[in-house]
Amino acid sequence: MPPKADQGDDKRQAAREVIDILQEISDLLNTNLDRTELSLCVSLIENGVNPDALATVIKDLRKETGASKRVSNAPAVE
Amino acid sequence: MSAAPRNPARGRRLDDALSQLVDGLTPALPISAIQDTDYSDEEEAIASAENRRHHVLMERAWRILDTHPSTNAPDPGSPAGLGGRRGSIAGTESINNAPDLIKRKLRRENASPDKAVRFSNLYSRLLTQPVLSQKWGILFLLYKLSASEDPVEGGERSRSPLMDEAHLQNILTKGGARPRRGTMIDSEDEGPAISSSASQQRVPVAPKMERQSSLRHGAGHEVDRNEVDHAERPAGHVDTGANVHSNSEHPRPPSPARPSTSGQGKPPAPAPTEHKLLRDLPFNLQGLSSSNLQFSSPSSLKLPSNLPAPIVSLLYALAEPCLLYKGLSVFVENEEGGLVNQSLRAAIAIELRAYLSLVATLEAEIRQALAAIGDGTEPQGIRKGGVTLKRCMVWTRDATMALRLMSLIVEEAQSKKGGQLISLIHGFSTSHGDPFVCAFAEKLLAHVTRPFYDMLRLWIYDGELSDPYKEFFVIEPGFRPNSDPRRIATSVWEDKYKLDDDMVPSIITQEFAKKIFLIGKSLNFIRYGCGDSAWVEAYSTEASKELRYGDTATLETSIDEAYKTTMARLISLMNGKFNLFDHLQALKRYLLLGQGDFIALLMESLASNLDRPANSQYRHTLTAQLEHAIRASNAQYDTPEVLRRLDARMLELSHGEIGWDCFTLEYKIDAPVDVVITPWASTQYLKVFNFLWRIKRVEFALSSTWRRTMTGARGVLGNVDDKVGADWKRARCVIAEMIHFVNQLQYYILFEVIESSWDQLLTAIRKPGCTLDDLIEAHTKYLNSITHKGLLGSASTSRYGNSTSTSAKQPEESFLSQLHQILKFMLAYKDAVDGLYSFSVAEFTRRQEINAKIETRTAQGHWGMTDRDLLSRQSNSRPGTSMASTPDIRPDSAGVDGVSTPLSLSGHDLTADDNMLASLRVRLRELSADFRSRLNILLGDLAYQPDVDMRFLGVVMNFNDVYEPKRRRAAPSARDKEKEKEREREKAKRRAAASAAATGSGSEGFPKEMRH
Repeated sequence: MPPKADQGDDKRQAAREVIDILQEISDLLNTNLDRTELSLCVSLIENGVNPDALATVIKDLRKETGASKRVSNAPAVE
Repeated sequence: MSAAPRNPARGRRLDDALSQLVDGLTPALPISAIQDTDYSDEEEAIASAENRRHHVLMERAWRILDTHPSTNAPDPGSPAGLGGRRGSIAGTESINNAPDLIKRKLRRENASPDKAVRFSNLYSRLLTQPVLSQKWGILFLLYKLSASEDPVEGGERSRSPLMDEAHLQNILTKGGARPRRGTMIDSEDEGPAISSSASQQRVPVAPKMERQSSLRHGAGHEVDRNEVDHAERPAGHVDTGANVHSNSEHPRPPSPARPSTSGQGKPPAPAPTEHKLLRDLPFNLQGLSSSNLQFSSPSSLKLPSNLPAPIVSLLYALAEPCLLYKGLSVFVENEEGGLVNQSLRAAIAIELRAYLSLVATLEAEIRQALAAIGDGTEPQGIRKGGVTLKRCMVWTRDATMALRLMSLIVEEAQSKKGGQLISLIHGFSTSHGDPFVCAFAEKLLAHVTRPFYDMLRLWIYDGELSDPYKEFFVIEPGFRPNSDPRRIATSVWEDKYKLDDDMVPSIITQEFAKKIFLIGKSLNFIRYGCGDSAWVEAYSTEASKELRYGDTATLETSIDEAYKTTMARLISLMNGKFNLFDHLQALKRYLLLGQGDFIALLMESLASNLDRPANSQYRHTLTAQLEHAIRASNAQYDTPEVLRRLDARMLELSHGEIGWDCFTLEYKIDAPVDVVITPWASTQYLKVFNFLWRIKRVEFALSSTWRRTMTGARGVLGNVDDKVGADWKRARCVIAEMIHFVNQLQYYILFEVIESSWDQLLTAIRKPGCTLDDLIEAHTKYLNSITHKGLLGSASTSRYGNSTSTSAKQPEESFLSQLHQILKFMLAYKDAVDGLYSFSVAEFTRRQEINAKIETRTAQGHWGMTDRDLLSRQSNSRPGTSMASTPDIRPDSAGVDGVSTPLSLSGHDLTADDNMLASLRVRLRELSADFRSRLNILLGDLAYQPDVDMRFLGVVMNFNDVYEPKRRRAAPSARDKEKEKEREREKAKRRAAASAAATGSGSEGFPKEMRH
């Protein structure tokens, strides 16, 4: 297991690094995505979601709810 | 509750992540948002509301995601496959370029490159991370979400080659210009193929429609309908095609016909697919035939016949630049034409090069896209590739416009050259409403005007015309065989160069052109006419500067400067080196009788000589007398330069007249000065001189006669007072009248006319900034006013003079002849008076003789006078009487200037003398009456002259109303002649009566009116 755990550690480490980088880029671009949202988006895209469509979705959601009222509450489990 | 119940194939993880994302983006609902009160607990109510909303939002999110082609059903959960088909994920090339897009965006939105640099660092770090397989996708997402991004739907952001290639600025100065109506196309290409304005207008409409349809859900049906309409489509493919289109709400222009012909379907004649057409397109755009599109002739492009209509219309639009380019490249290859034409060609070649680089970019795009979609056998490949015919058309639109404008210019330039060509292009740049056209024409103009400005520069700084193709607006007219030989001498200034108004380009104004023309002409004149090329060269090296289109202010100031310098130099040359003013002064002094003592002396010394016939005049005597007059008068103090040019000679037209009529003074003018004092001016001077000389001569004759009578009155005439005293009295009156007339005339011409005109000439010359043209004009005006006011106006004057109208010409003509007539009368009268004087002297001597005889007889102791004496006298003189009767005398006195010689009176016969005296009296009376009537007519004409000075002359002559001016009606000449004849008859009758009466007093009562 240690090698596996080690591998998992490595992976998580790499993932965090990636997210860090992406976060920075995202800040540069003023996307207004927080870290959680960013990682969620990354995982969605990694799973084959069209980034173009995803962008549309996010914009749509923001428009729907009003960007100003966003509250970072805990994700509700269905 | 499942967020995505409708698609079980969708991965669970995906669903979770999306739902979390939705929650993360959704704010908590405020309490106030709940309307329904079904729930007892508030929290529960909120929870359920949130749940419902979550559900709705999830539904929506999935729907949006579904409409995009990437997450399609076939293999949803295989990221590897997605990675391999990156190009098809978004169906757009944009995703692949996300890093570039971001970089560009950062650079655009931030002044400093810091952020872009930081992004580059981050991006390179990101690339080293092995974790992600969709790095571009994520970056693209971020890019799309970036704050200031305008909400463009879908992947419509195009990577147009028009936007990023800096060198294309050359051809595409203005983006977004509207498509023009197909003016060019109609004229350039043959009708049905290309001239469809429909295809042009479709261009802007089509993308908008698509955009709308991409927004509307399910709008793909519209596309489907389109597709079904195409007959060639195999029936079995309808399903697939419909599927593809309903699934993919895709922003790309759905090129409908493409998928239909690919695949298994075998249509009867396989039309080239869009990607084949695309592959060929760069070649077509360069004017080369390709396998599908062939140039059947230089001006037509053959399209395959079996293409569907939309493609055909696209190809119509794309064919335009192809054909235009082909035509223009032919024009550019051409060799002939003037310099401006060549520079136009060069300018167009530059533009074409820019166009070719656009084509090259386009080709690279097409290659890339074609490589991305493989061999193009996949049905929807072309749409995924991102480069379509339509897009190509949009990209080439501005270039097409530029090409259109250029070929319009080329076509119109065919019959034009030089300045006209520049005017044509300048017309586009100033008066065309489209800013694109203006800017483009302006750009062309900068190149095209270069040879023109070179010529201009050479012209205004060197005075040289270097214009091998006759394009400049100054032309050098060749020798004209019909030109007046008299004017050849002046050609250095007047005729060497001409200003051609048609060739003046509209970039300079007309008066500016005139100025430029004058500058060059003056420089040329200074160099060749005045032999001062050293100054011109120094000037050109010192003042010469580059002239270019655009900076009008610099051009104007430099031209103004050149103008001033050149003119000042020319005037100072004329003044200093060539003594123009001295010559003018000398002309006035000698030819216009300004130097009174000289003229008086000359006349006195020449008088005896000139009384002889013209053919006995010798040049050496004339020049000797002239020398004498110069030496003895104040003229000796004039410069030898001036005196050298003075010459006395006889006019050629001597038909048996006396010297007076032929004598003339001459002032010789040579090379550079004759530009101002032209040969025409010289003849004018001569004419004025001859007229003045004649007046002067009459004055001289009259005053000498007057002197003789005055001295004679004290001696000889006093003794015969009883016989001819009354006659003398009358004669003196008439002579005094005539002298008054001549004096007034002379005074008027010398002072009122010549001096005042001279004054005007001086003010005109001394005006600052006076040019040679001004000088010439002033001098011409001076001469004209002298000849006109000096009663000399004649046909040749009015040809040059601008003031004399045709109506004024007629009286002027007669002024000269009237004056000549009057002067002739005066001379005749003077001769008659001389005759009277001789008669008186003869009478006096006869009386002296008789007295002497009487005295001797008385001394001898005889009767002093006997009857026999008287009788013998009478009998002796019988034959003499018959001889001296009227018919014999008549021929003598009939001529106007006939001289009744003293010889006729030598008979000492009293009866003959009486006859003689009678005829003399008649003649004197007639002449004085004629003189008066002529003068009356003249005064009448003068009184109605438009010119104030001439009216003034009339007033001066008739200051005490002694004369009765007769207003002569503008009668036709026939009537004048009739009158003339009548008058002649009248005269003859009178003479007959007078001779019949033989007493001289009988003709007293003739009414004056009858003579008119």
